[in-house]
Amino acid sequence: MTVRPSRLAAFAGILALLLLIPQIVPVLYVNVISRAAVYGILALSMNVLVGYAGQASLGHAAFLGVGAFASGYALSELGMPFGAAVVVAAIVGMVAALVLGGVALRVSGLYLALVTIAFGLFAQETLFNIRFLTGGGAGQVAPRPSLFQGDVAYTYLCLGVLLLVLIFDWRLVASRPGRAIQALRDDERVAASWGINVTGHKLMAFVISGAIAGIGGALFASIEQIVSKEDFGLSLSITFLLMTVVGGAGNRWGVVQGGILFAVLPTILDRTHANFHVFPFTGLTATWEPAIGAILLLLTLTLFPGGIAQQQGALLSWLGGGPFKRDHDAQGAAQGGGMGARP
Amino acid sequence: METVIEVIVFGLQRGAIFGLVGLGLALVYKATRILNFAQGELGTVPAFAALMLMIGFESSGDKAANRGLLLPAIVLAVVIGAALGVALYVAVIRPLGKVSPVTSLVATAGVALLLTTLELNVFEARARRFPRPVNGGFRLIGTSVIVDWHTVVILAVLGGVALALAAFFRSAPGVALLATADDPFAAELQGVPVERMRAMAWGAAGALGALAGVLGAGVFESLTPGLVTSTFMIPAFTGVVLGGITSMVGAVVGGFALGIVSQAAIQIVTSYNLDVPGPPQLAVLLVLLAVLLVRPQGLLGRLA
Repeated sequence: MTVRPSRLAAFAGILALLLLIPQIVPVLYVNVISRAAVYGILALSMNVLVGYAGQASLGHAAFLGVGAFASGYALSELGMPFGAAVVVAAIVGMVAALVLGGVALRVSGLYLALVTIAFGLFAQETLFNIRFLTGGGAGQVAPRPSLFQGDVAYTYLCLGVLLLVLIFDWRLVASRPGRAIQALRDDERVAASWGINVTGHKLMAFVISGAIAGIGGALFASIEQIVSKEDFGLSLSITFLLMTVVGGAGNRWGVVQGGILFAVLPTILDRTHANFHVFPFTGLTATWEPAIGAILLLLTLTLFPGGIAQQQGALLSWLGGGPFKRDHDAQGAAQGGGMGARP
Repeated sequence: METVIEVIVFGLQRGAIFGLVGLGLALVYKATRILNFAQGELGTVPAFAALMLMIGFESSGDKAANRGLLLPAIVLAVVIGAALGVALYVAVIRPLGKVSPVTSLVATAGVALLLTTLELNVFEARARRFPRPVNGGFRLIGTSVIVDWHTVVILAVLGGVALALAAFFRSAPGVALLATADDPFAAELQGVPVERMRAMAWGAAGALGALAGVLGAGVFESLTPGLVTSTFMIPAFTGVVLGGITSMVGAVVGGFALGIVSQAAIQIVTSYNLDVPGPPQLAVLLVLLAVLLVRPQGLLGRLA
């Protein structure tokens, strides 16, 4: 594969921008960048389920929480090193997702969406309240690794993991199991007739999604270095769904941008409210953020089912190695993955 | 024995609200095959409107509600609920076009989030006192269990609504609605105004939601933004699935069952001193899983 210099330059530019951001942003807001990276990771986790496998999840905050508490427990109660805690979080996330995936084998569509909502509530009210695991209402302490103690250093760690997950996602989609998972989204019966193991690949999608969310949870826990059950409510699950749909389910660059957008939006609203004393900004505080997200969702679903990825179709196609043309690589995204216009 | 009666009485109270919310969910599902996550907020928003009427439209003050205005306030709430339901259908559901049921569920979840945020910004994140139509209670004969009059009111309203719906589905417009749900194309050929029937179903669901909102806020005698979604929606969803998602009777039966099950879960955990947090949420998840794995069409439903 020949890589054109212009494309290489674009990638280098994006990478340089990523590396520079933690240096440019005021120290006060560096943690917001870490949060944006974690939301990007979570968006990729959602994308495996919603975008590739075509399964709905309205309880993804539960996986984030499971990973966060597992990592916190491993770090502070078992005294594990950070890397091991991340692995523990990923495994626990996998197990939780495997349980839900088992249910998904029997029920699908709307019913599965309901189960994920109920699972999320159960996780928040029951699972995350078990005192010796999660510290109950007081929360669980999750210290940072010694090498990444500072806020800026920790941000680089989060961005690095986001990059790794992106690369993993890219290789997954190109692999045989990745293509099989996407075949399930389009039609399970057709996929089965091609000899694809429907059960195994559906479970695999859940497990991969759970593992990525668990890793995201481990990073999330150490941003503020403490987690409590209040962090993982239904509204966070809905936010995760919003950012996946608004970003463009099925397109990795789109969903990551969606995740970043929803992570930084409250802070941006706060800053514009404090600094600009003209009409729209005077009334818009961070408390309006969910309303803006909801309006973006409704506009996306009615006008651009492919989300941000659809609107940037040409650019993303070019970055992905194709020509600078609207609907080349954006095909899958234009159908909006699991959000597509199929009855 | 007394505890059992107490569980049933409290369970019926919650269950009746689950049933009211569930009726709205089932009606919309029957008419348009959409599971409406915003049904709860179709209750909270009208409840706030009713409260505003009773305290004279001072959103920041903590004035006591004027109970004399309760009846007009409830009427206002029902009208606003119906209008919201129709508006939701016209502004969001119809422009979506033909999409998968999950996509429309996501869209309605977005609407719920939008409405909750509006409430939070207009009315702030705090509880406000909300009056009941009838205060006090009475002692159940032969026991020491106190039954709130409010419970009786909710049950009576639910009964009235159920009778009205039963009568409606036997009338010409009711049959037209059922025809619309069954086969929109064939119904249209028969001269049924399909779009109007669907909008009407959403409007009726909004009115039901408003009743659930006003009476549900009365259960706690307080109203907070997002109240109905956070306390009644998920059990109501589960109740609808338990009863059979297209069955109106099932929605009510399922609602009562869920009310009693969650109350029993709380009672079991407290009386045996178990260290299980969130018993109602746990019970709801278990019931949902059991229904979906054992009898996915629900108790009274056909396979959808």
